[in-house]
Amino acid sequence: MLETLAIGFSAFGDPMVWFALVFGALAGYLIGAIPGLGPSLGVALLIPFTYGMDPVVSIVGLVALYAAAEYGGAITAILINSPGTAAAVATSWDGYPLTQQGRTGEALTVSILSSGAGIFISTLLLIITAIPLSEFALRFGPGEYFALALVGLSLVAGLAEGSPLKGTVAMGIGLALATIGLDVQTGTPRFTMGNPEFFEGLPLVPVLLGLYALSEVLFMIEDGPSEKLKSAPINGLMGLPVKAILGLKTAILRSSVLGYVIGVIPGAGASIASFVAYAVSKRMSKTPEKFGKGSLEGVASSEAANNSAVAGAMAPLLALGIPGSPTTAIMIGALMVQGIQPGPLLFTKSPEIPYTIFASLWIGIPIMVLIGLAGAKIWARVANIPRPAIAAIVAGICYVGAYASHTTMFPVHVMTAFGILGYILRKLEIPLAPIILALVLGEMMETNFRRALISNKGEWDIFYTSPMTVILILIAVLAFVLPGLSQLRARRAKASAV
Amino acid sequence: MAISKLKNMMLGMTCAATLAFGLAQGAAAEDWAPEGPVEFVLHTKPGGGVDVYARTLAKELEPIIGQTVVIVNAPGGGGATQMAKVRTAKPDGLTLGVNTVTHFTSMLTNLRGTFSTDDFEWIALSQIDPILFFVSKESDLTSVTDLVEKAKANGGEVNIGGFGPVGSMQNIGMTMLEEAAGVKFNWVAFESTPDIIAAVLGGHIDVGVSNLGPALEFFEADRLKGLGVLGEKRLGTLPEMQTFSEQGYDVDNNWLQVRGVFGPKGMPVELQQQIADAIHKAMATESYQTYARASGVEDSDFGPVEYAEFVKNLNALAEEQLSAAGLTSN
Repeated sequence: MLETLAIGFSAFGDPMVWFALVFGALAGYLIGAIPGLGPSLGVALLIPFTYGMDPVVSIVGLVALYAAAEYGGAITAILINSPGTAAAVATSWDGYPLTQQGRTGEALTVSILSSGAGIFISTLLLIITAIPLSEFALRFGPGEYFALALVGLSLVAGLAEGSPLKGTVAMGIGLALATIGLDVQTGTPRFTMGNPEFFEGLPLVPVLLGLYALSEVLFMIEDGPSEKLKSAPINGLMGLPVKAILGLKTAILRSSVLGYVIGVIPGAGASIASFVAYAVSKRMSKTPEKFGKGSLEGVASSEAANNSAVAGAMAPLLALGIPGSPTTAIMIGALMVQGIQPGPLLFTKSPEIPYTIFASLWIGIPIMVLIGLAGAKIWARVANIPRPAIAAIVAGICYVGAYASHTTMFPVHVMTAFGILGYILRKLEIPLAPIILALVLGEMMETNFRRALISNKGEWDIFYTSPMTVILILIAVLAFVLPGLSQLRARRAKASAV
Repeated sequence: MAISKLKNMMLGMTCAATLAFGLAQGAAAEDWAPEGPVEFVLHTKPGGGVDVYARTLAKELEPIIGQTVVIVNAPGGGGATQMAKVRTAKPDGLTLGVNTVTHFTSMLTNLRGTFSTDDFEWIALSQIDPILFFVSKESDLTSVTDLVEKAKANGGEVNIGGFGPVGSMQNIGMTMLEEAAGVKFNWVAFESTPDIIAAVLGGHIDVGVSNLGPALEFFEADRLKGLGVLGEKRLGTLPEMQTFSEQGYDVDNNWLQVRGVFGPKGMPVELQQQIADAIHKAMATESYQTYARASGVEDSDFGPVEYAEFVKNLNALAEEQLSAAGLTSN
């Protein structure tokens, strides 16, 4: 393992890899710091630029961007109570009160240091557990993969902030869209309206660009240029006693492990990780009353967990080819563009890819922390860039990126259509993440469901004779049912209290 | 490390080739000398076998023709996007496409009526890549005969996994064996070769079908064993594996995966011959040879006359197989 890890580190002999790392980290901070733009959008926007790159260079850039964007959200969360990403929402609960108390510097320092610690710990876990996971993955047959996809979909309830019903609607839309294209087993065209351009299904990159980025542009146009954000002055950036940081080590360690485990589960990402870690830390804390009023422990827990989830989400991606988060779902596309099929054979076939990812996560930490500490002042100003300028830049990248994906107009039309669809869905408060998740998992679920039946003489017992399949299906059912039940119970408790 | 070393090596070889051909150029008056950059339009995304082939060939072709060769990835529509680009291009040799057997099978099925082999000129055949049947090292099957006997004993319940749906190139390869042996197998479609290998290694399917390239590492790692190869000769890299014919199954040995170059209709035959010559010259370079041997493919020197004939036969064979399977009507 150490030998192969050395392969990963040796990739850093190439100056282009360093360039990709620094560029990815800077771009990630910027994107994370801009409210509404998150790591998924950042990765989607960067993909068109990676077409001509070496796979190692492009993956290092994408991973750096992902990790930095997951942190970048914390900056605006702390400074202006406007989390740049969903995963930084929990950070704002204590970060902004700290700013109001004039302790901005402390909050930023704690957030960046715990983010760094989170990545370090989770990468260690990733290195140790990804290999056993990938050998174990060979035992996954079509039945197991179907059940796994089902588990991924069942977590839609967690991805959809707010109404589970709307999350389910979004999932249904995604599943329906996943059926477009040639039938994998028989080659029959489905919902292609006689147009061969639909044969290979909806192209993922234009769909992502449309749903996330173009719809955001439409919102910016609607809001107009009037909105002005004001950032608070920053003081005492380094003025935090070492003792105070050491006092947070238990919370950081616990949140990092939690963040990794939640990140590994396909479908559960950084936002869930930070909420859960925050909740657990509050319960375990000696000073739970401070939470929500400016607790450094709260900031540390949320940030350690959401960054730890980055490495966690990489584990199923690298070992099984299954995305652990919406951002890694997009990354599968980026890897496939490079001719690398993420799957059980990645460690055997292209070991340089996972080990370079491990190395870049670690090498990236000091770079991230340095940029974070030095640049916090500048990042805060990003929020002050005039909206029309941001809208124009993002729209430009959307159109160029969509065209570049096929060098035809078809993906451009797809991107535009999904931009409008995304705008409408967001107006209706239907979450977008479940659509992407279902679009990616839907194909995997259907293909493996049918493959399982075909390879088992059409007998259904393949879904209940393997213990692994049974366990996975049970987890999926529970994940679907439990949130609904607890909501029902909460409603009843409320009713009886009245 | 190993990768960057190989790259450097290849770069060095390219330089050497440039020098050699730079000297040779000007000697033959009828060499292909395009007026501007040449576009190679592909039906696949960057990465993957066809893309690597086109980029490797392009690099060697550039010094020979004295022009840049641009790779244009035009995926989508099961090849339709690419074929539309090639069909509408001027027949001046500046726009060429790379094709595989999938082009012929889709022109007979999904794209029937949209494109036909008569819409294009078939300029040069470059690679042939026979398909092989393999099993996991732990399997009790050791030959095609074992496979056929197992299928007979189990009433056809042997799962064979390969690339593409029913009617795909590899699936037709399987149906040829079915006919020759008088048995039925169960086709399990996959979308990528690594998935097929993983399913074989995990024991989820009995037999896998693939070209040699993607499976080679697993043969070398002693995790797979070959049952037979569909082709005229045994493979140079796995000489112990017998062909289907050697094992007594009368299949058509011309059913091979190919990579060739085609262009829009109406290209002068002289120009086609020049292009074919330049391509075959590029294939003779050391760095192309290094790549081709590593990916397990065999070279072909078919020019426009032989390739057009080959395409005609292949197309007839595909038509026959597909209509037998009832797949040509839609």
